[in-house]
Amino acid sequence: MAQPAFRMDEAALIRAAQKGDERAFEELVRLYDQSILRLALNLLRSPEDANDIYQETFLRVYKNLHTFRFDCSFHTWLYRIATNLCLDALRKRRVRREEDTRVETSDGVLDRMDTVEESRAEADPQRKLFSRQLQEKIQGVLNDLTPRERTVFEMRHYQGLRLRAIGEVLGTSEEAAKNCLFRATQKMRAALGDFV
Amino acid sequence: MKCDEATKALPLFLYGELAFEEEERLELHLDECSLCRDRLAREKTLHRAADAVELVPSSEALANSRQQLRGAIAHAGPVRVTFWTHLREMLSLRFHPAPAVLQPIGALALVALGFFGARTIPLNIGSGSRINSAGMVDNPVTSRVRYVEPVAAGKVQIVVDETRQRVLSGKLEDQSIQRLLLAAAKDPSDPGLRVESVDLLKGRSESTEVRRALLYALEHDANAGVRLKALDGLKGFAEDPDTRKALTQVLLTDKNPGVRTQVIDLLIQHKNDNMVGVLQELMRKEDNGYIRMRCQRALSDMNASVETF
Repeated sequence: MAQPAFRMDEAALIRAAQKGDERAFEELVRLYDQSILRLALNLLRSPEDANDIYQETFLRVYKNLHTFRFDCSFHTWLYRIATNLCLDALRKRRVRREEDTRVETSDGVLDRMDTVEESRAEADPQRKLFSRQLQEKIQGVLNDLTPRERTVFEMRHYQGLRLRAIGEVLGTSEEAAKNCLFRATQKMRAALGDFV
Repeated sequence: MKCDEATKALPLFLYGELAFEEEERLELHLDECSLCRDRLAREKTLHRAADAVELVPSSEALANSRQQLRGAIAHAGPVRVTFWTHLREMLSLRFHPAPAVLQPIGALALVALGFFGARTIPLNIGSGSRINSAGMVDNPVTSRVRYVEPVAAGKVQIVVDETRQRVLSGKLEDQSIQRLLLAAAKDPSDPGLRVESVDLLKGRSESTEVRRALLYALEHDANAGVRLKALDGLKGFAEDPDTRKALTQVLLTDKNPGVRTQVIDLLIQHKNDNMVGVLQELMRKEDNGYIRMRCQRALSDMNASVETF
């Protein structure tokens, strides 16, 4: 994940936002909001749920920014809020059934996920090698991971966070994050053994 | 290293999360073991397969989320920090335990920092900027040290790029506002900003400059959401030769079926014989069922064959 280039600027923005400067707050949101929305979308696979997480995360940041004391990086603090909300949502989902992304419309069945862009869909010609069937299988495996495994995998694979940073965000050790990632990749390998 | 240990290390190896020594041992093993090299190849395939299911929120979704958040924050109003919260925060001392040997060194460093800081930091930096209690420049909001150079008498010369925020407001027809929107519509770093800018500009497409920007966005923007907004603004110009030329190009080359669908709908509203070749070429390469159907119908309306022989 792209880290902000200049820490000093970020600290100045945070201090300005803490004093009630709304433009500074908006600037701060824009530094991270794309990553937060992407994290939530990939974890929850629902544009509506991802937007809910986005709103809730940044509202919490807005309401609690005055309590931020620079004890950890703002990035870690923000991701902690967002991942906790995502983990809660994933846990609730495990209780009820996974939502179907397809909805009935007057024009027939529409997959809500068709409205989001698939990364590298156009840029990477390798992608054409993977059939829809394989993608569905991977999606199935991701859904079967535990919320923590799913979150660690998401943050390492798609967001590019180091395991140490993931441990900080999730309030656990680097070793525990490593074990989570290992279990996630093991499950994927076991499930996709015939495909790859 | 043995094969079972190597197998376990492969995913962490691909994520660059192995310690230096572990990585060395694994690489030595891979040099000698073809079975594990095959396993590594499979692991890489798995990685690429996982890449393929990654979702990226559309710039429109991002713009909507931002707008909704602005509304929610306006509704929530300013955060009122109570006197008690202030007091509690002021009184809450936080200690970060450091090894005993480091504590006197830290204390000395703090004293030295305070002494030299007071002697070297000027009270004002430039005009309108001031140093706050935390030693940060309050205004401008963003700054970047571009260049540092030691000069005589132990001083340092620092060149700082400063970005100051200004709020401009005006009507869309104002040239200065339009120029800024045209620049924002090409900002490569923020697709959300480009969507919002193109969305505002598309209502002014009677201006040649705006139309040129919309055509540029339609043909070159990496983000499909921006291209669709630009297309929206060009709907009234489907008969204009420059616009038709760009639309034809987009129809044949754009990788997003949503964009191609909108383009073909727009193009075939004004059929002419010049389109026959384009539509026949499209029939050869198009995979999307809807676009093929529209194309086929348009060719049949123009009494042209679906294929070239």
